[in-house]
Amino acid sequence: MTVVDLLLEGFESAFLPCSVILLLPGLASALAARQESTSALAGFTIGSMTLAYIRFSDRGLDLPDPVIALILAVSVVLLLIPLVRRLNVVSGLGGLAAGIGAGALWTPCVGSEFGSLLVDLPSSGAPGALQLWVYMAGVMAPLVVVGAFMYVIPRGAFLPVRPVMMAVGGGALAILSLATAAGLIDNVIGQLVEWSVT
Amino acid sequence: MNRGQYIAIFIGLLAAFGLFATATRGSDEGETVAAPAAADNDRTDTADDTAGDAGADATSSDTTAAPAPVLADAPGVYGMQGELVDLDGWLQAPADTELSDFDGQVHVVQFWTFGCINCKRTLDNMAALYERHQDDEFEIIGVHAPEFSFEEDVDSIASAAVDLNVSWPIALDTRKTNFRAWQPGRRFWPRTFVVDQLGQIRFDRIGEGAYERLNETVAYLIENPPTELTPEAQWMSR
Repeated sequence: MTVVDLLLEGFESAFLPCSVILLLPGLASALAARQESTSALAGFTIGSMTLAYIRFSDRGLDLPDPVIALILAVSVVLLLIPLVRRLNVVSGLGGLAAGIGAGALWTPCVGSEFGSLLVDLPSSGAPGALQLWVYMAGVMAPLVVVGAFMYVIPRGAFLPVRPVMMAVGGGALAILSLATAAGLIDNVIGQLVEWSVT
Repeated sequence: MNRGQYIAIFIGLLAAFGLFATATRGSDEGETVAAPAAADNDRTDTADDTAGDAGADATSSDTTAAPAPVLADAPGVYGMQGELVDLDGWLQAPADTELSDFDGQVHVVQFWTFGCINCKRTLDNMAALYERHQDDEFEIIGVHAPEFSFEEDVDSIASAAVDLNVSWPIALDTRKTNFRAWQPGRRFWPRTFVVDQLGQIRFDRIGEGAYERLNETVAYLIENPPTELTPEAQWMSR
């Protein structure tokens, strides 16, 4: 198992239905954060990678659905409502909350490389964590593209479409939050997956 | 160069990386059978598994042509098998089938769902294993635990079983009761266990891979049936 193999396997799984629940909240966070999408995606990455490591290394913290729903709801508030003037910080925190929620909901594809990593992860310490994050970097490569695209766009260009971005991004996160609270998240994701494969 | 050009180059590199990834994954599937992995008593993992995987990805005729290599040493014990309860029924087996019907046989218990790509990729090896040991005291039990709602439909499962060449008994674990009970901590699709004649789990694999180890474990247990529970299993079953 090499780092490159893990990265490639992660990248391959980015285009499989099992990654929808990780990538969708990330994309929604980037949209909802508008011109602060970079901060939001950075927070999202940290949140999702941390939660994934805690869960997959068997360190507990299997969050109950109501808690996940609450965390996603907090992310909506932080991303859409400028509570303080430091918008980049608030957006980063909003992304972090969305990342924690996504990391708690995500059930990854398990190929041969990732399967081998998972066997050792509970006992492998920092090297295992790094390998997991390499795998996740592959899975989240599409978010990097989105982040880069939004980064290169001049900030002024966001102004006309800001309401649309807020509605789509915030709306998607709010729907995920409500679906999780109602115990319907599997149905929502299943429907998305069904659409994506047909 | 301005910031935009840097970003454009980055995206171009990422796209090239993606093409490389796709090409690399595709070429793996055509490799020929690799030498069997070295046997040891450790849990299956790492580079040896990857070498074995290439072989297992070969066609069924390749894998059934030669007898399975057998482990040199007895595989370890990971615990006692659980039960299969609260099922919605069985496919390709009588409706009143129970897990205890397979006591005294080596059996593979695999948690899978038909929409899962990683589960599907294990099935060629499973089919070859099933065919290889069709005259032995051996069975495979596929426990179908749907990940998404569209995978709950029984007709769809039955149709997928035909398409995927799954000819062994399928337990319908629609509510995922057993999926959770057999994986109390971390839960993944697929999860594959090999259970010996006494109900001891002798192989446990998350995800794809470790096919050589799986095949060798089954062959070892068929040739060397345990006569009594290991001390670890006795302790675990108390």
